[in-house]
Amino acid sequence: MDVFVWVLITLYTWPFFEFSVAQKTDDFNSTFARANESVIDLLGKQNFTDYENSNALDVEIVSTASNVVSTRDGTGFSTPSTTESTPPSMSPQVPLPLSGSLPPPVTDVSRICPCDQLKDQCDPNCCCDPDCRQELALFTGCTVKTVRGEPKLCGQDVVTYTISETIDGYAQVQKSVQQEVNLDVFCIQSTNYEAGLSLATPEVPSAGNFDGLYKHFVQFLFGSANNGATTSTVEPLTSPGYLYGDVIETEEESGGREFFRLPAPSVTAHCSDLNPAAFLREQSNRCMRSLVLERDCTTLQALNMHSYTDPRILSKKSEDARFVAVEVTSIVLQSLEGTQTQLNITGDLSLDPLLLVSVAPDSVVCFNVVLQVGYTVTYSEAGDIVNVTASLVLGEIDRNMVPMEQEFQIEFVQQNVDQVALPSSGNPGYVVGLPLLAGSKTADGIVHSADSRGAFTLLHGSKLSDCLRGPHHRSPVLFGVDMVSGCTLRLDETANCSVVSEVVLGVLRGQSFPRYVASFGNSPPQHPMDWVPIRNQTKPTEAQSCSIPLSLHLEVQWTQYGSLVNPQAQIVSVIEVIHTNTSNLALLSGGSRVMSVTSSVTFVPVSAAARPGFKASPTIDAKLPYDFFFPFV
Amino acid sequence: MAFYEVYSHPASIRYKTSVCTKATLFLGIVLCLTYIPPLLVAYRSQGFWVKRSTYEEQPVVRFQYQVLIIAATSTSGDYVAWSTFPNFNNMQGTNLRIPSISVREEDQNQDGKLDRLKFRLDLPLRSDEQVYSIQLLLTFSYQLFRMSTVVMQTLAFVQHSSSVPGSQLFISGDLRLQQRTPLPHRGLLTVYNVSVIDGTSPFASAYDLANIIGSYQDRNLTTFLSCPSPVWTVGRAAGTPFQINAEVRYPVEVVSYRPGFWEMIKFAWIQYVSVLLIFLWVFNRIQTFVFQNQVLPTVPIPLLKQHHF
Repeated sequence: MDVFVWVLITLYTWPFFEFSVAQKTDDFNSTFARANESVIDLLGKQNFTDYENSNALDVEIVSTASNVVSTRDGTGFSTPSTTESTPPSMSPQVPLPLSGSLPPPVTDVSRICPCDQLKDQCDPNCCCDPDCRQELALFTGCTVKTVRGEPKLCGQDVVTYTISETIDGYAQVQKSVQQEVNLDVFCIQSTNYEAGLSLATPEVPSAGNFDGLYKHFVQFLFGSANNGATTSTVEPLTSPGYLYGDVIETEEESGGREFFRLPAPSVTAHCSDLNPAAFLREQSNRCMRSLVLERDCTTLQALNMHSYTDPRILSKKSEDARFVAVEVTSIVLQSLEGTQTQLNITGDLSLDPLLLVSVAPDSVVCFNVVLQVGYTVTYSEAGDIVNVTASLVLGEIDRNMVPMEQEFQIEFVQQNVDQVALPSSGNPGYVVGLPLLAGSKTADGIVHSADSRGAFTLLHGSKLSDCLRGPHHRSPVLFGVDMVSGCTLRLDETANCSVVSEVVLGVLRGQSFPRYVASFGNSPPQHPMDWVPIRNQTKPTEAQSCSIPLSLHLEVQWTQYGSLVNPQAQIVSVIEVIHTNTSNLALLSGGSRVMSVTSSVTFVPVSAAARPGFKASPTIDAKLPYDFFFPFV
Repeated sequence: MAFYEVYSHPASIRYKTSVCTKATLFLGIVLCLTYIPPLLVAYRSQGFWVKRSTYEEQPVVRFQYQVLIIAATSTSGDYVAWSTFPNFNNMQGTNLRIPSISVREEDQNQDGKLDRLKFRLDLPLRSDEQVYSIQLLLTFSYQLFRMSTVVMQTLAFVQHSSSVPGSQLFISGDLRLQQRTPLPHRGLLTVYNVSVIDGTSPFASAYDLANIIGSYQDRNLTTFLSCPSPVWTVGRAAGTPFQINAEVRYPVEVVSYRPGFWEMIKFAWIQYVSVLLIFLWVFNRIQTFVFQNQVLPTVPIPLLKQHHF
């Protein structure tokens, strides 16, 4: 479309100097596009209530765009009643019948009235409303004071509405139309193409072009099917077995397919029961349930172990899948105090939650509530689930334990694979965040426990925080993570010094304090030379008659080893520093009679600074700074 | 009759010498001293190579019509939640509460770029529920075009809590761009044009706000809602919904970028030449003095002989 718009522009300061500017219609097309966009917006938001329509869709009045904003008059494009009557056999190019035709654009400024919102009625304080006659006397101001025409013209019409008071105290509205001189250097003196100053007639949606228009203008909207979806370009593999990340399926009693659920916290800490378990994706979730014991103890399914052991898991995705029942391998009963007893699984055992209301008030106890569920899924190479076992912890809960916490775990084990391999904390160097390997020395080598998170531990603060009273929690020492924690010691209880000293040291060190730490994350226990002894350092060295340890500090020195590209962390020495009291404890505590005993661990990098090696050092000492010729080299 | 200067022009005197003389050596030294020190002066006074520069641009922002809202409805931790993601809503069970939302994006100055989002959310509440905290997440499509073309998906996260239940939260703020490293001066950047929330995932961890915000803040380019003064209206009549009124503006952003080769050369050239001019003038005077007064022996060619050549 090679239509050129010729606009005569006069340079205002030199009125004798006239020149013409050619403007392509492309610029105007972009404004058309905007006009269309707002129309589609109106269409897309048809679901709003009337109330929101009047509030949120306060379309701005643009003097030259009256053909867009005139939906109030029923001549807009959002009249669904007319589109419904469209016969389907209509030719695609014929626009949908609208009510008559589009109204002509209003360019006369004296006829534009943005505040005229009531049809055939006077809008208060709207001075330009033609419906206002007598009411004008009651006006106190004008909501619209001036209406301007096209701002690009050199002489623009401006209508000014002013209000003045008559002698008898009533208001009087004066309307004056003036030609205001545009002070801009470039302005349009006269225009011979009127359409150039108004928005284009939008393309009317018809049965033929609706999809195209919709695709062109609508980007985001509520309720689209792929809202937020990232379309993956990878074709889904049609394997009969499960693949990594596939949701494990179960069969309902009704015959339909469902997902194997593993409750997990979603946006809050509350358990969301609809979280699916995915194949080969190990999960360990802790979440909370708020409940009313009397009401929910026997009725809430989430507390009943059967809701976790009853699902019939399908061995593969395809139709010929067989069912795999969840096999309960162990049930541990936990008492209110936290002591745990292993239950012998003998045939049919009723372990449904049981409510026990005793005579004393506030002593409602619910038995056999699921506290922990651990699934172990055995799978074959083909991605079939062979076996699912569950180990449960059922416990008693009372009001103090509500809201209760539940823990759910799922782990995957490959069929026919030797499981004695110990987990390593790096290959070979330690990985930051993995536990230190520790053990003690015997004649055959190093003995360390299979659970690497329990080998080398540090005291972890508990709610009692008393050194002499348990239970004490311990957390594993993780490589590269400095930690500190502790407990308190009351001086009244330090009478028997030697016993207290022994107990405190035992609490700080833990039950099985190791003597050796692996220097690499995968040090084999057969090679004792790969293990670093933990050196003990007690301060002050010359112990007095009796001294109580006040802090246990572990200092792990490590270095980086190997090539610069792939350095490996190696532990070179571990020192255990125990500070004992040198003076009277009462003095140290400053009269509060309570001492804090701390245990901490620090990782000290002792590696020498990495240095690129040269056989012969370069002799030229370049004086120019490194970025002197920055963009060139 | 008085004389006046009708015209003047400089006459050049030529001084000649052979190659192996003191004058040649002097000339070489002067040339080196004229052209190299300005480079050192310009470099040592910092900012010779412009490595980071900024430009202003109003981004093209569109609201993606993705909403996630969590409201705490009691002090003991009950909540209601809703999002535009069906999987998330399925997971909420009885805590799901469908709000009514109205949205409008406005182009106030008619420049084709949207300037403001008006967002209103009405959350219906039961009679025994009160709102104590609100977490609201909105996603946006964000595009920059002036230097390098950046297309990304960003989010605005609002979190407000109060110990006193309220009836309305009013937020009026700017969607600001946060940048860690400068952008390249050209090219297309679509690394972050991925969904901030994976709405297709059936797993609860995909909707964990800590996961979402954690992975989002890892990005070089993020947006945040800068709203210094949210307004919490205290008191709510029974049966009325909790209301969130938000106005999010899309302001002009100052984006920093790494200038291209020619831009860097241009600024270096300006600095070099401006220092060079001083050196040229100084050494020109020195040379004139040296040759005019025959400090170094040269053969001057007199002006009168000029026409013989």
